[in-house]
Amino acid sequence: MNLQLTLAARYLWGRKLRSFLTTLAIVIGVMVIMGTGIYMPTFMEAFQKSMLSASGQTDVMITHKTGEAFSVSVLNRVKNINGIRVAAGVIDRAINLPPNFYGRDADVMGLGIIGIDPNLAPQLRDYTLAQGRFLRQGDGNAAVISQRLADTLKLKLGDALKVPTTEGVVKLTIVGILPSRALIGNEQVLITLSQAQKLLDMPNRITTIEANLTTTDKAQGEAIVNQIKTELGANYTLGGLVSGSEFMGAIQMANVMFGMFGFFTLLMGGFIIFNTFRTIVAERRHDIGMLRAIGASRATIIGLILSEGLAQGVVGTAIGLGLGYLFGVGFVGLAEPMMKQFMNLTFSGGVIVEPALLIISIVLGVGVTLFAGLLPAFTASRVTPIEALRPSVGATITRIGRLSTLVGAGMIVIAILGLLSRRFELVALGGLLFLVGLVLVAPALVRPFANMFGALTARIFAREGTGELAQGNLTRQPSRAAITASATMIGIAIVVGVGGMMFSLTNTVVGLFEKSLGSDYLLLPPSVAIWKGDIGAGQGLANKIRAIDGVGVVSTLRYAQSYAKSAAIEGETMISVLGIDPIEYPKVGSLEFQKGNPADAFAALAREERNVIVNGVLAAQAGLNVGDPLPLSTPEGIQEYRIVAIGGDVLSMKINTAYISQAVMKIDFHKSEDIFYQINLAPNANPATVEQWLNAIVDDYPQFRLVVGREYLAEFRQQYDAIFNGFYVLLAILAFPSLIAILNTLAIGVIERTREIGMLRAIGATRRQVWRTIVAEALLLSALGTAFGILAGLYLSYVIVEGVGATGIFKMTYSLPFTGVLAATAVGLLFGVLAALVPARQASQMEIIKALRYE
Amino acid sequence: MSLVETENLTKIYGTGETAIVALDHVNLHIEPREFVAVMGPSGCGKSTLLHLIGGLDRPTEGRVRLDGQALDELSDDALAKLRRRRIGFVFQFFNLIPMLTAIENAALPLLLDGVNTAQAKQKASEWLTQVGLGARSHNRPDQLSAGQQQRVAIARALITEPVLVLADEPTGNLDTKSSDEIAALLQQVAKTWGRAVLMVTHDPRIAAYADRIVFLKDGTIVNETQLESARTDNAESVTRMIKAMA
Repeated sequence: MNLQLTLAARYLWGRKLRSFLTTLAIVIGVMVIMGTGIYMPTFMEAFQKSMLSASGQTDVMITHKTGEAFSVSVLNRVKNINGIRVAAGVIDRAINLPPNFYGRDADVMGLGIIGIDPNLAPQLRDYTLAQGRFLRQGDGNAAVISQRLADTLKLKLGDALKVPTTEGVVKLTIVGILPSRALIGNEQVLITLSQAQKLLDMPNRITTIEANLTTTDKAQGEAIVNQIKTELGANYTLGGLVSGSEFMGAIQMANVMFGMFGFFTLLMGGFIIFNTFRTIVAERRHDIGMLRAIGASRATIIGLILSEGLAQGVVGTAIGLGLGYLFGVGFVGLAEPMMKQFMNLTFSGGVIVEPALLIISIVLGVGVTLFAGLLPAFTASRVTPIEALRPSVGATITRIGRLSTLVGAGMIVIAILGLLSRRFELVALGGLLFLVGLVLVAPALVRPFANMFGALTARIFAREGTGELAQGNLTRQPSRAAITASATMIGIAIVVGVGGMMFSLTNTVVGLFEKSLGSDYLLLPPSVAIWKGDIGAGQGLANKIRAIDGVGVVSTLRYAQSYAKSAAIEGETMISVLGIDPIEYPKVGSLEFQKGNPADAFAALAREERNVIVNGVLAAQAGLNVGDPLPLSTPEGIQEYRIVAIGGDVLSMKINTAYISQAVMKIDFHKSEDIFYQINLAPNANPATVEQWLNAIVDDYPQFRLVVGREYLAEFRQQYDAIFNGFYVLLAILAFPSLIAILNTLAIGVIERTREIGMLRAIGATRRQVWRTIVAEALLLSALGTAFGILAGLYLSYVIVEGVGATGIFKMTYSLPFTGVLAATAVGLLFGVLAALVPARQASQMEIIKALRYE
Repeated sequence: MSLVETENLTKIYGTGETAIVALDHVNLHIEPREFVAVMGPSGCGKSTLLHLIGGLDRPTEGRVRLDGQALDELSDDALAKLRRRRIGFVFQFFNLIPMLTAIENAALPLLLDGVNTAQAKQKASEWLTQVGLGARSHNRPDQLSAGQQQRVAIARALITEPVLVLADEPTGNLDTKSSDEIAALLQQVAKTWGRAVLMVTHDPRIAAYADRIVFLKDGTIVNETQLESARTDNAESVTRMIKAMA
């Protein structure tokens, strides 16, 4: 084996614990990146498969670009095109089902209601039945279901299948059973088109046109397809459905957060590796010198240090890839039930590991390690044989540079100016500058800081003089002290920074939640974020609720999907359109407005003009402002809306959302189905009686769940906390490696002072006193690092919060994480002491003669 | 032509008022197979002389020639190569790599020179046997006594068949018995194996093993003594000489 690799392997093996802990930093970083990179494509593929399965065997499948229903008149236009053999309108509507809708044993979370023309459908697709008959024109509540659904629900011909509709629960009689097909997505329930239009409140509307052509020739087929495109214009899509932007939005948001986490972890890992290699170079000064003396070239020495880095990088990355894979698989496994419920997605294709992900993980894992080892490797190569063999202290430690202090101070000033500018790019750049600036000015601050805290340690270690000794050790070599403190600082800064951001996000979201959903009662559909699959209710339900004695205000939300084009973005952007009642909605909740006056905005919506409130994500992405026009694609063609305000609610904070009035939604989108209800009690109403009545009404609409507002808030908070507790655990994992960084730098301090420690012991210092000196020094260092870390962390979290605000996506209110700061202080100091234990023991156990002879 | 020639070799550390002259125009010649000991009080420039001859440091003035090659004309890498192939080093604290076995430590210079591991180990094994450590070749330094560690260091110094072995206080960290053994071994290096040896030592008893003793004081050679027959009982006369010079 190559000499460098042999030596690297031996050194790593010789320092097992340190090798393990250092490598752990790389393992964690790669694991997070790999794990995060796995679930995204896995979800994507499952999603695409689901979409593909929705398109079927027909030659042409036409849907509206928005995914919304459109007029049956479009079907006639298609039928008139030459070359169309047969064309039929279809309603294809996914329905999310509430839990246990079919009882505890039946695992059905959604259904696909397919309304077909019984005469034309068999000409378009193969409907060979296993049992019973096919649908007939004029069939009312008759349905054809698959064998699998029949088996799952233990149904046979003639039995009734209950289905939630806008009319309440309807019982469909099973007249036919189709053989099971290997389809991903909801189990399909076929009913007649006319019945589907009735039950789903979609009169004269269809969601899809299926057509077969007169030709099988590819070129001719393409010509006919082009003709259809010309006839229908750009608002229609030929092929599969376009939907799920909300889902993708949520996944992407999670991906960005985890990606950020992986990056921070690797950054931390890089710093630890850097620190470890500094320790290695200091420890092996004699070995390196000897190698140089017996003829090793500088390149050999660089190669030796980098080989160690490479070995750690390769091993750490390999383990990280393995653990990351398990992490990704575990995450997908945990998410699957939820995905099945919301999207009826199953990950039958298995977990996807894209080659690019592997390459990125390997390049980052190994690259960061090698990069972090570069500087120490060059430092090692500059160790001359003489320097190494001759006694000298602090060969690898630089003195305080006035220039670096000035540069650091300059960076901090620029960072603060960047923050004041409130421009996202400058704020983000400022965050990095602030951290680097602190590292650079740290040495200059060591003396005043050590003096300040030294008084405290002198008191703690009174009568032994060890406190003063520790203080002296720090001020004598401020650069070394600053490097150790920086290790703590970066760890604490990242933890406090990300933790502070989380804390602010939690407070903001909970505040938003109270504001947008602060009503006394809510009627919730199975999914409150992915509206598309929710089946709502007609106007009747709201009227019934309003009629209850004691109900004051009822406000509902309606949903439609749309898209818009804007100069600021390429292509088209999917938009979730929510219909609100501009009079009632402000009485039960409100939006968090970023721009525009709330009262004026709701008044503008109430005028039944095409006015719209857009949320921050949409405004930021499409570069929109108050007063701008927003052309929205609707089943009636593109309609131009005017933006009257920018604001959003908690449920749509991650999704491009536009709020319009329900009246306008009815005209442009033909939607009058309520999918979400907010109810306030009248003054002096008896909640118990109202609740009883509400429960009685909701019984007929099992797709809804009645919840008490404050209970929902508590439930939400609990779910939110559960998610973020996971994040805090990850933060703790992230903080752990900083322990190694402190340990390493303290170890360097002990190695460099070997003779001094020997001298102290020789002149009568007890082992205990030496031990306490090192611990006191560690305490001072960690106090310094923790103080800087908290300062930098608070700044970082403030920068992130301001940065998010500056993007215009949504306004986050900064909350000072008092508890977090206290915890960070305790953890920082504890880490300092823990990290000191090994070097302190090493120093106190030193043999006096050996130590004195060390140099 | 001598194997080693120094011409007005001068080394000054620092500048201006704080400048310290460690070596002052030293002219020294060492012949092949010659065993030379350098003695003198602390700070007289012994180690500096050794470092300059070994190409570990560059002189402020003057030059060193090894086998006619002026060291100051060589680049850093060329110097490294020269140290690897032509010079062997023995240090006071042995400077063995603790993670490697005796045979691996001894094989290091050959491995650095690109020789394949099997060949390097074969040669290391032969040299360890020569220095009397054949049985301990697979022990790590911490499993060897100080004297044994220094034998490994000598084997390492000889493995590339160098023309010159430089030993800096090779017995400084050893007990009397081991010191004598190592001194005798260095004598063998010169006499039996034909290498020139330049040894820095404080110990007159150890210096007495050499063919010639060079006395340094304040950076200059103040005396040189050719010992007629190198043996332990020369120590007394060497001690007397040191006292006379002081």
